Amino acid sequence: MNGEAILPYLIIIPLFGAFSMPIVSLIGRKAREAWAVIISGATLAVASALFYSVWEDRGIIVYTLGAKSPLGQGVSFPIRIVWEVDLFGAIMVLMVALVSFLAVVYSLGYMKHDTGLDKYYTLIIVLELGMLGIAITGDLFNFYVFLEIMSIASYALVAFRNDTWEGIEAGIKYMFVGSIASSFILLGIALLYGQYGTLTMSYLAVKLAQNPTVTAKVALALFIAGLLFKSGASPVHMWLADAHPAAPSSISAMLSGLVIKVGGVYALARLLFSIYSPLAYKALRAYGYPYINMNTVGWAIIIFACLTLIIGNAMAVIQTDMKRLLAYSSVGQIGYILLGLGIGLAAYGSHTGEVALAGAIYHTFNHALMKALLFLIAGVVIHELGTRDLNELSGLAKTMPKTTFAFLIGAAAIIGMPPLNGFASKWLIYESSAIFNPILGAIAIIGTAFCTAAYVRVLYTFFGRPSERVMKAKDPEASMLWPIIILAVAIVIMGLFPWQISEKVMLPAAKALEDQLAYISAVLGGA
Amino acid sequence: MIQFQFITAFLLIVLGIYAFLAKRNLIKLILALDIIDSGIHLLLISLGYRIELNEVPTAPIYTGYETLKSPMVGPLPQALVLTSIVIGVCVLSLAMALTINAYRHYGTLDVRALRRLRG
Repeated sequence: MNGEAILPYLIIIPLFGAFSMPIVSLIGRKAREAWAVIISGATLAVASALFYSVWEDRGIIVYTLGAKSPLGQGVSFPIRIVWEVDLFGAIMVLMVALVSFLAVVYSLGYMKHDTGLDKYYTLIIVLELGMLGIAITGDLFNFYVFLEIMSIASYALVAFRNDTWEGIEAGIKYMFVGSIASSFILLGIALLYGQYGTLTMSYLAVKLAQNPTVTAKVALALFIAGLLFKSGASPVHMWLADAHPAAPSSISAMLSGLVIKVGGVYALARLLFSIYSPLAYKALRAYGYPYINMNTVGWAIIIFACLTLIIGNAMAVIQTDMKRLLAYSSVGQIGYILLGLGIGLAAYGSHTGEVALAGAIYHTFNHALMKALLFLIAGVVIHELGTRDLNELSGLAKTMPKTTFAFLIGAAAIIGMPPLNGFASKWLIYESSAIFNPILGAIAIIGTAFCTAAYVRVLYTFFGRPSERVMKAKDPEASMLWPIIILAVAIVIMGLFPWQISEKVMLPAAKALEDQLAYISAVLGGA
Repeated sequence: MIQFQFITAFLLIVLGIYAFLAKRNLIKLILALDIIDSGIHLLLISLGYRIELNEVPTAPIYTGYETLKSPMVGPLPQALVLTSIVIGVCVLSLAMALTINAYRHYGTLDVRALRRLRG
């Protein structure tokens, strides 16, 4: 299949769908819901086709906006905006489209009692659009625009229920932190432009390898600071624990499952591997030219990762609010992903580094499914019982058996139990971190111990003696149940073929991310 | 020649960050965000406007550029700044809307009052 021909539809369909939503809403409620499902379903279809096409021929798809070639007329450098999708980007695209589609289907039942739903569906599709854009872009200017589209939509969605103080307070905190982070990133982009005069990622990579200056280092520090803010790494994770529980549950699933990864970790990986490259660092160092030490950068990320995975998982244990517990658990899992990324950078070129990177990519995908499942279940509980305080949810297994069973699958997967998908990805991260440095392996295992404690506590509550409050509860209606079932089945099926997926998809994705030369030559080509 | 625009941009960014950290009123915080953004915009525009060989660059209008004697400024930072201004307006209006809602719920604009979420 021709991936280049279908790539633009990944942006066109959600963009058209989002802004035609208010008009379609005029017809009526049914039309609006059908339109939202059709648009996100069509996006999922395009995303699957794109993923298959990239995976099949292991190439990089380059799409130039407004011309056949990214290069300018008569000049040998790119002047146009390019989109560039390698296998890593394609995995992110698939993940975003899948979870967003399920979140939209879930919203049909979950948001039924809210008002202003035309705005809600517009914003949820704009949020999806922003994330898809970040995953496919090959230009820093374009990246900033999509990052802001994503961020603004998520600020608005966190504060969507503006009749509650909780949503407003969380929205304000999220917005201030997010805007400062965006400003850091914009300042970094400005410095890079001032130094090198281009914003196309692949050409910037060439320029950077030729002349790594202090300005580029300052810009890198600003990027890392901004993107760690956005991904919710410790010590700046406080906004996440407020914002993710306050949003409606379908949005929490997207925020925790997708936004912190695509807008944080994916962008960081793209910057560190495709623009500032450990490959150029090794080569320049070997020949005695000035270089940017990516080894140090890798270790800095590893230190943040260790802090994040210990603090996030430990804070999850002491929460009494179910969604807050899940949010802190997200912080902890981001720690694992960052650990894999950091080791991939510090041990670049070795097999360990590649395995760590594959583990990080694998865990990103897995965690998106698991955390989306768990937040959707939390939403079901809130919908049925009107509370998310764990002390009041005792004995839920009696009256909501399907929901509890799905929660059991999600919790077991996130802890890393063998027959489920979390096992393989966590194993790759443990294995590589233990080979790289045994202390890091030990820290990763301690984090999992806290994680297990947190989820066992929830399950203990669910299987406990039924309280009076839960006796009235029942399993939810079909539109809320099906997304949960699909996610649970996906987790089990992915868990049955862990090493096949790792060999066929995740390791090639890690290789594609590491192969900076292919990324550059895909755009610059014959130049 | 001292390039005052870079100093101004730097001062604006530092001033904004100072205000963001030191002030407690929500509206002042929003202003601080806007000042930081303005500083970055000024920096970007100044980076595009380079005086080389004492030739003052003109606006990047490509129609009839063959007859032009002097160089043009870089069009890319201008496009980026225009986009960024639009994004800034979005964030600003959303921030004001949230601030109005916060005032309804809390009865104050003091950011220290927004501390009910904890744990």
